[in-house]
Amino acid sequence: MNFQDLGKKCIVMALSAQMVLIPPSIAIAQAEMLGTDAVIGKYAALADREALMVELQRAEVQAEIEALGIDPAEAEARLAALSDAEIATMLTQMEDDNAGAGIVSTLFSVFVILLVTDLLCFTRFFNFTRCVR
Amino acid sequence: MRVLRRIAGLLALSWLAACAATFDPDERLSFEAPTRAEVPDVPLIKQEDFFCGPSSIAMVMQWAGSDITQQDVAALAFSPGAGGTYLADMIGSSRRLGQLAVEISDFDQLLAEIAGGRPVIVFQNLGLAALPYWHYGVVTGYDFEKDEIYLNSGQLDKMVMPFAVFERTWRRGDYWGLVVLPPDRLPATASETDVLSAAAALERVAQYRAAETLYETGAAKWPESWLWQFGLGNARYAQGDLRGARQALRRARSLDPSIPEVRTNLAFVEGEIAG
Repeated sequence: MNFQDLGKKCIVMALSAQMVLIPPSIAIAQAEMLGTDAVIGKYAALADREALMVELQRAEVQAEIEALGIDPAEAEARLAALSDAEIATMLTQMEDDNAGAGIVSTLFSVFVILLVTDLLCFTRFFNFTRCVR
Repeated sequence: MRVLRRIAGLLALSWLAACAATFDPDERLSFEAPTRAEVPDVPLIKQEDFFCGPSSIAMVMQWAGSDITQQDVAALAFSPGAGGTYLADMIGSSRRLGQLAVEISDFDQLLAEIAGGRPVIVFQNLGLAALPYWHYGVVTGYDFEKDEIYLNSGQLDKMVMPFAVFERTWRRGDYWGLVVLPPDRLPATASETDVLSAAAALERVAQYRAAETLYETGAAKWPESWLWQFGLGNARYAQGDLRGARQALRRARSLDPSIPEVRTNLAFVEGEIAG
């Protein structure tokens, strides 16, 4: 229970740190409008819960998860329980961990599997997941 | 030379048909596709030499109500030096014509689009890896029971292919497919991010009116997402519609007050209205 609270605090801290770190120039008047493209690149992929769920449904990922002895339905429930902000934070971290390479689809399934196993306390791959037990 | 290649293509096709195994939808698809589906009224256009790409786009756009010709598309897409049309130019020319263009990459998406009433442009190698005969066609229907997939393939007759033959020719084209739609319609399978990116691409080629329509279409499907309102604001601003832009950006702000880019653009537009 304490562990869970701590996890939540970490995410809250990560989010507020992100807000503090926004360069001040962005809030003041700009010489021109900020383009849609760049903003989509920054935000759209992040909140894509759908993409995570679709990935989780793929046969290879399901097989891998089952091979690890995890009930796919439970994995899905755990992912579904995350808030948009949590998913956004995790995906941002994943991208950062990849040194800006972005989420490549072949790697993405590995991410999803490790994300699920992290959440279920089987692994501790990402330093930003909280183990929910 | 062209005739030779066509013959080579036909030979390859018959050879493939001879050793083909049947397509098992239960094994190959991860969704319950109807046994058969057909998109009605996709016109058959006989392609001019090497214009399989432009004629495919013209067929899909005419199906959606446009009166564009393959020559119009070719002017934007065709590479004379290459004697063909590059994949990127298929996408780019569709966008320069104000269309939503989204790529697909597997059978699930292909058949879901057909079942959902949208034709799909596919990239095939009708020859062999060593003797390629690249071709674009438009998939308009399929029938699992008859083991047939239907294409408008640049001839005046509908092309009928067994699934296994289609699968091999499409696999050699890396399962590349393209859904091209007017911006007030969405693909059956594309994710929110795919459609958003396609809409932003319309802005990039200065198709602001089309971008505006697509952002409105997306906002109706994904009403909780502020990104559609943000894009809508930008597309309206680009057309000089300051009040419309302000309205959309305000909506974006109320959907998510925490996004600095929304506040920045809103302040910018409000500054112009005031100034």
